[in-house]
Amino acid sequence: MKALRSTGLVVVAGVVVVLVFGQQYAGSVFVLAVCYAIVTAGMAVQLGFSQQIVFSQCVFMGAGAYGVALLNTHFSMPSLLATPVVMVGCGVAALLLGSVVTRASGLALAVATLMLPLIATGYVSSAGYLGGSVGAPLTGNLWNGSSTESVAIGNGLITVAFLAVAVFVAVRILSSDIGLELYALGADERTAAAMGIRTPRRKLELFVLGSVFAAVGGAAYAGTQLFVPATLVDPTAELALLIMLFVGGRRSVLGAVVGAVVIQYLYGASSWVSVNILIIEGILLTVVLLVDPEGLAGILASLLRRLGASTHATPATGVPATTPVVVATPRAIPSAPFDPPAPSAPADPDHTLLTCAGLGKEYGGLTVLDDVTLALPARGLFGLCGPNGAGKSTLLNIIGGSVAPSRGRVLLDGADVTRLPPQLRFGLGVSRTFQTVHLIRDRSVLDNVAVACLTSHRSSIVSRIARSALAQARASAADTLDRLGMAAMSGRDVSSLTLESQRMVELARAIAARPRLLLLDEPASGLSEQQRHRLGELLREFGDMTCVLLVEHDLDLVAQVSQRIFVLAGGRLVFDAGPAEFRVSPLVNSLLIGEFAPRRPLGG
Amino acid sequence: MKLGNLIIAGLTTGSIYAVFAVCVSVWYRVSNILNLAVGDFAMAGALGVDNLYRVKSWPLPAAIAATLAVVIVFAYLYDLVVLRLAQDGPRRQEGIVITFFFTFALSFFIDGVAKILFGTDVHAAPALWNGGSLTVASSLHIERAGVLVLACALIIGSAFWLYIRYTLGGKAMEACGENPLGARIAGIDTRRYRRHIFVGTAVIAAVFGIVESPITGFTYLSGATISLTGFIAAAYGGFRKPGRALLAGLAIGILEALLGGYVSAEYGDTVLYAILAALVLGWPRAMGFESAVSG
Repeated sequence: MKALRSTGLVVVAGVVVVLVFGQQYAGSVFVLAVCYAIVTAGMAVQLGFSQQIVFSQCVFMGAGAYGVALLNTHFSMPSLLATPVVMVGCGVAALLLGSVVTRASGLALAVATLMLPLIATGYVSSAGYLGGSVGAPLTGNLWNGSSTESVAIGNGLITVAFLAVAVFVAVRILSSDIGLELYALGADERTAAAMGIRTPRRKLELFVLGSVFAAVGGAAYAGTQLFVPATLVDPTAELALLIMLFVGGRRSVLGAVVGAVVIQYLYGASSWVSVNILIIEGILLTVVLLVDPEGLAGILASLLRRLGASTHATPATGVPATTPVVVATPRAIPSAPFDPPAPSAPADPDHTLLTCAGLGKEYGGLTVLDDVTLALPARGLFGLCGPNGAGKSTLLNIIGGSVAPSRGRVLLDGADVTRLPPQLRFGLGVSRTFQTVHLIRDRSVLDNVAVACLTSHRSSIVSRIARSALAQARASAADTLDRLGMAAMSGRDVSSLTLESQRMVELARAIAARPRLLLLDEPASGLSEQQRHRLGELLREFGDMTCVLLVEHDLDLVAQVSQRIFVLAGGRLVFDAGPAEFRVSPLVNSLLIGEFAPRRPLGG
Repeated sequence: MKLGNLIIAGLTTGSIYAVFAVCVSVWYRVSNILNLAVGDFAMAGALGVDNLYRVKSWPLPAAIAATLAVVIVFAYLYDLVVLRLAQDGPRRQEGIVITFFFTFALSFFIDGVAKILFGTDVHAAPALWNGGSLTVASSLHIERAGVLVLACALIIGSAFWLYIRYTLGGKAMEACGENPLGARIAGIDTRRYRRHIFVGTAVIAAVFGIVESPITGFTYLSGATISLTGFIAAAYGGFRKPGRALLAGLAIGILEALLGGYVSAEYGDTVLYAILAALVLGWPRAMGFESAVSG
């Protein structure tokens, strides 16, 4: 068990250092480092894996520390008892603040949360009861021993215990099925939402988790350092935390812990180092990131891999191999590529599954879609063509739920889903691929497909400390890969695959959830003639199972596999008929062929 | 006349934000890297000139020339060694590591060197335009350095705006950031643009630091604060648009002065940051942030 191994390592190393050096200067430096490590462990989950760039950890670390100091001095509450109180308080505060802040994504989230330390600094330095620009008054020790020795050892052991719990929780969550959701969120938020992951909820949970970890680190800081400096909440404190995380390794919980220890050791090591700390930190961060963007943990991992590779002749799975993986042709598929959709789908294949009624979309003054109405049955393959800028992708996005229409409605099985976000439409059986490949790098093919098979969407992140259903999701993904004849590549890292194989993985992921409606956005782009042929065979099989809407520029492919073809031009639906008419239609010819590729007649 | 004087004060600090925001956004446009060390170049320029002129008694023009030469050489070498290894190597770095953390490490490094060279006290380069504050309409007071600062901001901001909008070089520069590979295939030397704009904005920051330092004064740690304000103003300009960054910087400066004057001297900044946070959260698109959930 990964979590127990990491936690055991932390406990053994921490206890040994505290017992051996506890009463010396080195011991006090170590205990301070452990306080920071609790914070950086949470940052590894939030910033490292899930790529939620927030700059507010120092605020919650400060809140934890000030909270303990206030409870201790004003209510004479022991520091150890004050810690859970502060933890809950900060958790509630983070929930309230996070429900506003985490609505933003990417750089907007980074800038919005950057304001928090700035606001906190201004507040703390003016608020008299917090000690103003100096800091909060003395607090009591975490451990009230009879002698200075027992206080030092007791403080140290309690802090190490906090860190051990933090590491256990972080690693447990990351290695669970929700951990895979977080990887997907970190890879691309929009794709994660299209795969059914409730991204707003996960982002909020991550914000609370990171904040609570920070508050515990702050509480430990107050209870061991006995003073809370006002500088704990200012932006430079946040920068110090970020340096620890990135030197240690942003995508490794143990790396983040090691980073905190290394940087704190530098601060306290010798007077020469601490005088020149800025230069040393600058050079250290630059060199580490140049050698490996994953920090010291990444450097160590590749060293271990190299050692392993020299002792074992066979490379481990996940190491990019040079031999190409041949995707089995669909003819080799022993049975149907996937089970028919979930039983809720009606048996009648002519039943109307999807209805788009009068859809319109404007961006500013530009009309992208204008009064598009179409209906699709429960089975079959339908092509959607049109010149560039005709509104094909917008229509697909509106059906998928990632773009809201300006006018009109989307009905699924007669139910209005126009306002439903993509993650809930996924639950209703809408699955899609994107124009460009969006896979989770550094994870295996199996895990990438397993993202679509997760059953954890409704569960809270905390429940994953106890149990995980990742194995079931992987089993169901392996099943899909098997049916598609892709079992051989399931252990491979997706970044080592060819474009065709990556597209196949995306298709496998899209059908692994057994969708009722499959939206494919240019699956053939970048593929060779032969690969397109294989893709066509596969698409036809998909069409027998479910309803497929195919956006594609390859008109030959569309005409070969579709039973009905829609053509969009200037945001309007201008053509809607079978492939035979499509081939001979002068309108289609002038729109899609004449102007754009005069030398390439439409075959078939 | 309180309002008028507050606006003048706001324009002065706003110009300072604006120049750094322009430098950040122009280079981000080329390289997709946020230069979080831009304020440290300003600090190095101001304290370098101060040190050579006041301590070493060099003549002022020589002190300025020598300081700028050091900045140019250092920025050039940094690009040549660190950025080339990070961006042009076999493993091209992407994402937040390259966007934030290399220049962030650079900022620490420059600050540490400045601490050794210039000490920890507050200093400033000598005023370039001597004399008391100018008085307009009998009660509006304008510092001479403030006039220089505003002029610099307007010239630098509009020059970059015109360059990007109307020249082929500006278009090529834009292409570098939009699609580095595509730009190189089209024959644009993206590395050269990245280096030239990096060195150029470092020099602009240093010059501006020299002009601006009589107003605020610098310590070796001032650079980080300046970079932060530049980053924030650049953010509200949409990160890629120097013209908007200029306006955002001026607007934030004026807002800050008005809040300090009319709302609370103590909590003015706190209110300002709360307003800025609310703007990002409420209208991310209007503020120029690419929303992650988009078509």
